[in-house]
Amino acid sequence: MPQLIVTSPQGDVHEINADANTTAMVAIRDAGVDGLLALCGGLCSCATCHVYVAPECAGMLDDMSDDENELLDGVARRTALSRLSCQILLTEARDGLRLSIADEN
Amino acid sequence: MNDVADIDLADRDYFSDHSILLDPYQYFEALRDKGPIYRLPGRDIFVVTGFAESLEVLNNTVDFSSVVATGGPAWPLPFAVAGDDLTPLIEANRDKFLGADLLVARDDKAHYNSRALLSRLFTPSRLKANEAYMSGLAARLVSNAVAAGGCELIKDIAVPFATLVVADLLGVPDADRDHFMEVIAAGPPPGALDSAVRDESQQPLAIMAGFFVNYLIDRKQNPRGDVLTELATASYPDGTSPDIAELVRLSTFLFGAGQDTTAKLLGNAMRFLIEVPGLQAQLRADPSLLPAFLEEVLRLEGSTKMTARLARKATTVGGVEIPIGTKVMVALAAANRDPRRWENPREFVLNRPKIKENLAFGRGAHVCIGNPLARVEARIVFEKLFEQTSQIDFDAKVHGPRGHNQFDYEPSFIIRGLEKLQLTLAPR
Repeated sequence: MPQLIVTSPQGDVHEINADANTTAMVAIRDAGVDGLLALCGGLCSCATCHVYVAPECAGMLDDMSDDENELLDGVARRTALSRLSCQILLTEARDGLRLSIADEN
Repeated sequence: MNDVADIDLADRDYFSDHSILLDPYQYFEALRDKGPIYRLPGRDIFVVTGFAESLEVLNNTVDFSSVVATGGPAWPLPFAVAGDDLTPLIEANRDKFLGADLLVARDDKAHYNSRALLSRLFTPSRLKANEAYMSGLAARLVSNAVAAGGCELIKDIAVPFATLVVADLLGVPDADRDHFMEVIAAGPPPGALDSAVRDESQQPLAIMAGFFVNYLIDRKQNPRGDVLTELATASYPDGTSPDIAELVRLSTFLFGAGQDTTAKLLGNAMRFLIEVPGLQAQLRADPSLLPAFLEEVLRLEGSTKMTARLARKATTVGGVEIPIGTKVMVALAAANRDPRRWENPREFVLNRPKIKENLAFGRGAHVCIGNPLARVEARIVFEKLFEQTSQIDFDAKVHGPRGHNQFDYEPSFIIRGLEKLQLTLAPR
């Protein structure tokens, strides 16, 4: 059960014990953490599940797809650490992953 | 409206009263007056009309099951409520709920896994690849309609368009596409009030399933690099493989879910286009406003009025206690007109702030998987209509004179949409 550590836009930190092979978006949503809209429901088509990966965790993730890259071009505050959380699959190898939910307001 | 009429309206039976079909919104407003979440007198059903409360239900997949999403909340449970978590009883009796093996009605891991299989069909790059087909098809259908001087939008354009787009997305061979359309056109709409026939072998989905069994068995044996092959050889996120029956259910489900809802969205949008003063001219002058137009139509008159959940545990919504075993009807159409969330909710306003947060497609784990597709489909049909016509109007011979138009809505407690919309199309 990989652990995910998520910081909400308000700054509170949540430790989530996620099921392996779910996405970070689903784990955050099902844990009831506020701030992640995820309007499209995980189709990589709306960019409302934008998160920042903690710098020390960036190496844990795969490269992003062209679809994800293009969608992130449309968000308000993209950085080198921006990802869409619906595209991050939680596996045992990613235990301890740290993400912050982007404040889109 | 006086108080007596209000009481009468709220006491009517949403699930069988044909008069609520023509205007469900007045009924929902009568319920809203009683609170954002309200228990129907003498029934085990709560109706949620509040936006925040709807989100609360849709996002709570721990306490709520979707098992009643297809059949609706009006049927009695097929078991006696016992214990403090109904999940084992729901799963043991799932086959006794109407349509509970469909994706919309599944829960937890079974839902997550199946949804993940279909997700890959709706990525932006996939939709872009599909868009060329959509454009060509829409141009053809519109061109035929313009040549005839007009059309019945639902039957002549919307239904064939929505059906063939899903067929293309799934890679259904050309030769079978007409047959699929005939089967769907002959079937009842989801949530039909008058549906006396419940022989499931004659349902359109069952007939199409026969085709998909053959496609998928063939592609498993003879992979050929098309969408059906990809589906036939796909695996769940945990690496295990679905069986053929499951793949068939998911494929046919996309037709059922995406055909009527999209067709009705086009009809509902067309009413606004023609009825809102100045709107048609504004959108013709600047078609880049079409996505904003469609979002506001989705908010005001999306094609799905409601969805339903079963409280599998005792819980609360908006501070109201929901006993275990009771059902919650989430009135999406009412949440999208909640005055606490939307200013002047009954007015048509382009580019409202945060309009994409409307609940026309639901939200959370079960948000409509075809939502990006539906948005592209509707935009393309309107683009082609604008390219080939100079003016679109209701046909007065069918819908009556301007200002006194008559429209008939589909007899369904789930779907909000016109049965027919006869248009006159002036060529460009």
